[in-house]
Amino acid sequence: MRLIAGVDIGNSTTEVCIGGVEENGSFRFLSGASRMTTGTKGTLPNVLGIKAALEEALYEIGLPMSALELVRLNEAAPVIGDTAMETITETIITESSMIGHNPSTPAGAGHAVGELIFLENIWNGKPGIPYIVAASGKFSYEEVAQRLNSRIPELDIRGLILQADEAVLVENRLNRQIPIVDEVKHIHKVPEGKTAAIEVALPGSSIRMLSNPYGIATLLQLNADETKSVTPIAKSLVGKRSAVVIRTPHGNIRENILPAGEIYFHGEKDLHINIDAGADEIMNTLETAGEIRDIDGQRDTNVGNMLSRIKTSMADVSKAGQEDIRITDILAVDTLAPVEISGSLAGETCMEKAVGIAAMVKTQQLPMQQIAARLEQELHVKAVVAGVEAVMASLGAMTTPGTRLPLAILDMGGGSTDAAILQEDGRVRTTHQAGAGELVSMLIQTELGLKSRTTAEQIKKYPMGKVESLFHMRLENGAMQFFQESIDPRYYGHVVLLAPGEMLKIEEDIPMERIMEVRRDAKRKVFVRNAIRALRIVAPEHDLRRIPNVVLVGGSAEDFEIPEMLMDALSEYRIVCGRGNIRGTEGPRNAVATGLLLSYLGGAV
Amino acid sequence: MVVNKPSIIIYTNEPDEDFLREICAGIEEEGVLYTIADHEGDLDTLAFDAARESMLGSGIGITGNHMAMQMNRLPKGKNVFELIQPTFRQCRNLGANSARAIKKMPFKEMYPV
Repeated sequence: MRLIAGVDIGNSTTEVCIGGVEENGSFRFLSGASRMTTGTKGTLPNVLGIKAALEEALYEIGLPMSALELVRLNEAAPVIGDTAMETITETIITESSMIGHNPSTPAGAGHAVGELIFLENIWNGKPGIPYIVAASGKFSYEEVAQRLNSRIPELDIRGLILQADEAVLVENRLNRQIPIVDEVKHIHKVPEGKTAAIEVALPGSSIRMLSNPYGIATLLQLNADETKSVTPIAKSLVGKRSAVVIRTPHGNIRENILPAGEIYFHGEKDLHINIDAGADEIMNTLETAGEIRDIDGQRDTNVGNMLSRIKTSMADVSKAGQEDIRITDILAVDTLAPVEISGSLAGETCMEKAVGIAAMVKTQQLPMQQIAARLEQELHVKAVVAGVEAVMASLGAMTTPGTRLPLAILDMGGGSTDAAILQEDGRVRTTHQAGAGELVSMLIQTELGLKSRTTAEQIKKYPMGKVESLFHMRLENGAMQFFQESIDPRYYGHVVLLAPGEMLKIEEDIPMERIMEVRRDAKRKVFVRNAIRALRIVAPEHDLRRIPNVVLVGGSAEDFEIPEMLMDALSEYRIVCGRGNIRGTEGPRNAVATGLLLSYLGGAV
Repeated sequence: MVVNKPSIIIYTNEPDEDFLREICAGIEEEGVLYTIADHEGDLDTLAFDAARESMLGSGIGITGNHMAMQMNRLPKGKNVFELIQPTFRQCRNLGANSARAIKKMPFKEMYPV
């Protein structure tokens, strides 16, 4: 029996498949494996990952590397995906002028106005002036309460701002009911002597006065112009449980619209559009421009820098001159990113408008021959470059039970969404679209304000649940799961991701419903839009209805909800669409590697 | 002893008063009631009995400078948190966590990371 291997190098994973040809010409698939791609797709560092994957697949069937007779590599499409994110609005507060956050336990309720005074200076307070007291963490709750109580008969104390998490403790010891905000990290930045308005929401609701520009105007007696300038403050306080707004006559709060710049499309028509117009307009313009040669951005603007950064980084890894690197497709998505407000007192954030862009970079032919040569040298096995990626993927997808020609595949990977259609007469049409799994991870990360990209990727991949007691959790679909052994208390009350064999805790305190909404939204924005865009390009006469069946392959087809979303969206066009099942066993992975082996048998080169 | 108030029970056996005060402050800040009573036994017994007898299913045991938080239906000796000679902040968080266990909120960090 002769052993041959098919190798598919993708943006994020390298997949191999090993088959044996018997003397009588019959053929059997033996094993397969998948590894992280090492280095950028189509460059020499890939060899490492290929070797590891081959070793793993061979180990499974207990054979040494020397048993291999031939390695077939795919002619990887010379397109590489990359993503970037740019905020287009920015809120700047130059003088400390607000506090708005969600301490877990503020105390009291209602709103008040007064002059700010530090607790240590309260002895200088004058009767008849309303005060709001700020107490730093060096005072214990007993001291704070005692000092205030001794001054309350003569001083008019209306509200209290604490650095420590002790609002309830102080309130329980105070002779008067006042709103108390606690957990204010940078309390020393509070400007003493200025007028401030304080508000604590009733339990279960959020603040009403300070999240309303006219409410702030009422409390701080602002004129129309000043009211206009506090609008960004009100906006960023929406939904908070407690807040303080400080009147700073010369303070500057403004919402900057960053010079977002224009994107230039060089295609059949040369068009340009401002980033401000939003993702939909950008995508429409892209479509109108026809086949794209290159895309770039206005110099010295965010989008210009973003696109040139993508090109530079691609030029670096692929060792090509920058003039050889062309962006041939982009996918723009509107999003909101929580950005920490500069000049904030308690680490407040503001949701800023942002646009996420995935770009598809076309390089000169990838140096696949070099990879083959290096493989041959290291493994002492003959290696050849055979077959175009999309054709091989179609061939592999054909092994899914229940398919027939003409067959469309949608290959959803990490960096790009590729579509191909295989006609009865053997003709193949393909397209590569920017935007896939990595863009989804980026959107999840920015919208939820997560610290690490890994967490975002895990949120994308796994369903979640909330640990409600030490013995059960509520899953995202509402079902309950019970445990024999108690759950580790570290998970208690947290949202956890249900990875196979373990639970992953999400550090950030975000409600499960919100995570689910962002996750599904990101997937829909990227994959549904891209699927329809890609299929329309390859469809006969660009008519989606003329595609009878679509097989989903690639890493993102393994996702637990994307295939269902696409099925939903495509059923409108009466398309049979579903997750592929390569060779009836492999699921949506390994299509290209399988196709490479099949094409060898078919005698194709 | 029968307790009918919905509160966290703290069973003590010659406790360090400063630590006890901080634990109570932690519970109070979270807005939950607590009851303190003397009780016989070692730390595991104190915490276990407190959790079992608390209507809210959350209890604390403290003896000397040694304390533990326990929840109802957990096996004896398998304390949720246990501290020896802690800092005041840790005591405060232990109290807060016994309250958060009832409110079904994530626990505060107990041990320095």
